[in-house]
Amino acid sequence: MSNLLSWRGWLVFVALAALPLTPWMSKYYMLLAFDALLFGAVAMSLDLLMGYTGLVSFGHAAFFGLGAYATAVLLERGVFSLWLCLGLAAVVVGLYALTVSYFATGRRGIYFALLTLIFAEVVYTFFRYTQTFGGSDGIQGLPAFQVLPGVAIDAPARLYYLVVTYLLLAYLACRVIVRSHFGQVLVAIRENEDRARFLGYNVQRYKMGVCLISAVLTGLAGALYPGRAAYATPDLLHWSISGEFLIMVMIGGLGTLVGPIIGGAFFILLQEKVSSYVQWYNIVVGVVLVLIVLFVPRGLLGLRQALRGRPRGEAVG
Amino acid sequence: MEYLIAILLPQLLHGVVFGAALGLLALGLTVIFGLLGVMNFAHGELYMFGAYAGIVVIGLTNSFWVALVAAPLLVAAVGAVTEVATLRPLYRREPLYGLIVTFGLALIFREGARQLFGGDMRRILPPIEGSIPLLGMTYPKYRLFLLAASSILLLAIWLFFTRTRAGIIVRAAVQDAEMLDGLGVNVPRVFTLTFAGSAALAALAGLLLAPVFTVYPQMGVEMILLAFIVVILGGMGSLGGSVVAAFVIGIAQSLLTLWMNPQRVAIAIFGIMIVVLIVRPRGFFGREGVLE
Repeated sequence: MSNLLSWRGWLVFVALAALPLTPWMSKYYMLLAFDALLFGAVAMSLDLLMGYTGLVSFGHAAFFGLGAYATAVLLERGVFSLWLCLGLAAVVVGLYALTVSYFATGRRGIYFALLTLIFAEVVYTFFRYTQTFGGSDGIQGLPAFQVLPGVAIDAPARLYYLVVTYLLLAYLACRVIVRSHFGQVLVAIRENEDRARFLGYNVQRYKMGVCLISAVLTGLAGALYPGRAAYATPDLLHWSISGEFLIMVMIGGLGTLVGPIIGGAFFILLQEKVSSYVQWYNIVVGVVLVLIVLFVPRGLLGLRQALRGRPRGEAVG
Repeated sequence: MEYLIAILLPQLLHGVVFGAALGLLALGLTVIFGLLGVMNFAHGELYMFGAYAGIVVIGLTNSFWVALVAAPLLVAAVGAVTEVATLRPLYRREPLYGLIVTFGLALIFREGARQLFGGDMRRILPPIEGSIPLLGMTYPKYRLFLLAASSILLLAIWLFFTRTRAGIIVRAAVQDAEMLDGLGVNVPRVFTLTFAGSAALAALAGLLLAPVFTVYPQMGVEMILLAFIVVILGGMGSLGGSVVAAFVIGIAQSLLTLWMNPQRVAIAIFGIMIVVLIVRPRGFFGREGVLE
């Protein structure tokens, strides 16, 4: 474990764990931190696809939203176990991801982006208009889930620790994957798909594999979301949310895992702060995105690495 | 027979009309894709700009016809500036960066329109009112005009690409921009002008459809997905394929609304696309090997 996470990494997680003990962490900030870390985890999952494999998914909101709906449906029907919620989310999102990636991974670049987008739009339309799942209102007023019978995750501090734990586990999982042979093949596919194929790797199977992993991690994060929001709505599935995930990854830096976590947290904090001052918040987000792609294509973390003089290859490809 | 004339025929014609306008929108998207490898996410917003620019010009001059000329020019200017400022620096990079940039542009344009014009629905009155009898039914004159205008434009674009030197240069750039550069053509200028032209087409589609639909900042979001489906169905980068697919989707959508509610229609359209992709992954007219 220790070689997966540097001492600085452990220090960050210890600091995150100690954060609620500080006096200025009010309930509001605790929930804001929940969002920041949760979406950081989502952006990190997307980075496996975008940064390491070079596949841009415009449909990650569907994975996130399906996870949220899995939890919502169970909570609504009186099943409060967090583990069952996560389990259902993983199964549903996994099956959906396999279907999408079967069609989408046979093709390259833009095709992948468009097909994931359109499949996600099918899911969005389905939930938006199916009254069993509350239609456009979604499923509202959900109770808290329970880790053990009787132990509910209802206080902001408990939610916060839940998400810190999730982020730590998901991060370690991603690190293991990236360092494994599987992860190396993904990078090979990114760098030169044909060459990877000629070396005898079944490229589509690898792509489907990484899609599945990225989707399930995103879905699990989605399954945690109703614990904080007490709802699951079709808006969570909309493709503008997929776009926001993409922005988070770009802000943080492709192919770095840590970068997107920072990017996700930065995005949530920016959104919260800017939207409380101005209405044209989306213009700010759009301008930030365009500027980053034009001038800092490797994101915040890439910028730091560039300053340190450690060159890195183009991450998307 | 009654059913045929009273219900099926007008709906079919609606579909053809809508398909023609959708073709204008999808054509610009396809050309840009062929040229820059970028799926322009902001294309729907240029379509929306066309409608709003129309409202502004109509407000100033009180004439739909002036707007029909001025609005596409205005939007083409916006398109040219945007291309030079944001896409030109990305030519040498992966097209996926361009995709992400256009997503950011779409956000900026949409929110900008909301701030400038407000979020509420607006209408443009049809410049030609009334209906005429046609094949035993009565059909609104404006829609016939819309069909004629779109068809003439599509024909003109076809002639442009096959008969004019400029059109052939654009097609050459789609084939092999590097070679064209080697032959001494100013390729970045070709890219910028083509982008402006594609923006003008999107704006025209937006303005022509505005009297039939409503105008609001989100209007592009709904259309762009349909346009994406059209481009995929037609075969990425195939101009003729886009036009054929636009008519297929326009007619399918229009006829399906006879038997289904709108949300089912949306899902059915996605279904059509998925089935086509299983049977024929490269779309109707896509070249084999391109992006497969």
